[in-house]
Amino acid sequence: MDDMTSSSRAGWITGITVTVVLFILPIFLGQLGKTGEYWIWVCTEMIIMALFAMSLNLILGFGGMVSFGHAAFFGVGAYTVALLMKKADFPLYLALAAAPLVAAIAAAIVGWFCVRLLGLYFSILTLAFGQLLYMIVFQWYTFTGGDDGLHGVPRPEILGPVNYYWLCLILFVICFLIIRMIVNSSFGLSIKTIRENMERAKFIGINVRRYQLLNFIIAGAFAGLAGGMLCELNRFAQTEFLHWSKSAEPILASLVGGMYSLAGPAIGSSVLIFLKIFLQQVHRSMVEVWAIVLGVLLLVVVLFAPQGLVGLYQNIFKKSQS
Amino acid sequence: MTWQLFVFMLINGLCQGMLLFIIASGLSLVFGVLRVINFAHGSLYMIGAFLAYSLSTILAGESLMGFLILLMIVPPAIAIIGFVLEVSLFRRVYRQEHLLQLLLTYALVLILDDLVRVIWGGEPRSVTRPDLLAGSVNIFGMALPSYNVFILIVGPLIAFGLWFLLYRTRTGNIIRAAVSYPDTLGALGVNVSWVMTSTFMLGCWLAGFGGVLTAGLSNIDLGMGMQTIIECFAVVVIGGLGSVGGALLGSLIIGTGLTFFQLPFGRWALVFPYALMALVLVVRPWGFFGKPER
Repeated sequence: MDDMTSSSRAGWITGITVTVVLFILPIFLGQLGKTGEYWIWVCTEMIIMALFAMSLNLILGFGGMVSFGHAAFFGVGAYTVALLMKKADFPLYLALAAAPLVAAIAAAIVGWFCVRLLGLYFSILTLAFGQLLYMIVFQWYTFTGGDDGLHGVPRPEILGPVNYYWLCLILFVICFLIIRMIVNSSFGLSIKTIRENMERAKFIGINVRRYQLLNFIIAGAFAGLAGGMLCELNRFAQTEFLHWSKSAEPILASLVGGMYSLAGPAIGSSVLIFLKIFLQQVHRSMVEVWAIVLGVLLLVVVLFAPQGLVGLYQNIFKKSQS
Repeated sequence: MTWQLFVFMLINGLCQGMLLFIIASGLSLVFGVLRVINFAHGSLYMIGAFLAYSLSTILAGESLMGFLILLMIVPPAIAIIGFVLEVSLFRRVYRQEHLLQLLLTYALVLILDDLVRVIWGGEPRSVTRPDLLAGSVNIFGMALPSYNVFILIVGPLIAFGLWFLLYRTRTGNIIRAAVSYPDTLGALGVNVSWVMTSTFMLGCWLAGFGGVLTAGLSNIDLGMGMQTIIECFAVVVIGGLGSVGGALLGSLIIGTGLTFFQLPFGRWALVFPYALMALVLVVRPWGFFGKPER
């Protein structure tokens, strides 16, 4: 017990330190002129993708459900923001509030079918629904702009790059705390029980499908918010946001970071994005071979460190979670 | 719709379906024995197509002989790539959880697709059809592209060959036994890991074969692997994971469906495979010919 409180206090201290550093960061980056502005943009994207990865990990790491269609809800969120702001002149805060709601509705419909299936079949059905949504967005030119996407999403004047970074950071911290609360709640414990032993969870009276569906919806909502935030950052929404290869990104991030921890996916996602940008800065030709680097990295993690970075850290410092 | 148009579309649809079957049957076969869904199957198919393109420029493959050489060289080359992948990578994850297996094959997609981009570049390419298959043949007073007719002949031959191999030879008995009772098979003195390797090679051979045929049919580009692997998933899910007969049925449904729906729905026909795949998974997750499991 004593050990637990001290480790949770250490967690709080780390968390607050990291948050403070992230808050101050753009002030320093702002001094660097053009490159600084670029890095502020990169950091904003990192924060958004970290939220996307954490949203997936609710079902992947904590729920043990491998979804290959999570990008669908990310994309739905992005298109919600783009459509509401461009076609209905909604203000940003309302559009950003609507994104998780619409994504949650989509997740509720898709999830209602998906949670009926187990294991591999669940994965393939999420993939099928994800691609179905992708195809609909791709083909519906008059509404979604088809493969051109929706460009020129308006940006409120007070939100320069730095202010938008701060907005994303605040949203991220709030979401992180909510997700942390969910994971540590009795609901979160039930979800983990289902992952570990579904039969037993049923036996002790957990309504497995309902819990999984609820978890799926919550994860979809956070993904939708992340999608909406990225849409506003880039000021466009494109079909690629819904493609199944986009669904793979948070899975890779979770794997690299470590999927049985809260912050692992966020760390993994940031590390991957940083690595990509860094290699591009080192040499332009690295853009071409980035997928190869990522693939090899992934192979190494799968074969030698399936617990990810957080697992490695815990192994090295002999800190056992159980 | 006149009956000529109907027959024309039917032939085109069946042709697409047959091509899809050749690729998807490999995916299904590999899943049946190895229990791994191989995302990289589409990439191997794409490499087959691009290899065919490169070889055809060397062979100046306008003669039928040149094209047959492609069909004899490229699929075994892909099978050899498959051998290397199976022995060096796949073998290590058979006892791991599904997620790690999927991610391993996905890592291969990233690597192989990017290698194709680095080696062959981004622009679309095509293989010139041999003279004999470039024209058209008259059937029922209609001019049908002879290459499509060629695929319509080759497809069933492959299907028959697979059926014969699986159900009429000792090798086939062993492969089917490896699907149902791998442990017993091992206890009987059969080298199961060799069975797995050779099945994987056979699957890759089929992917390569499909790649060569596609290179002659239409333009090949970097997106073809990603697109085809999802269509193959649809086929395999509809027919039943691991069932080759199911893959035949699934690919014919998808192939003809895609063609026929194009008439009333235009480009929206492309939604059809995914909608059908989702529907089948919801109603009958194990597909038409699969068995419910676990």
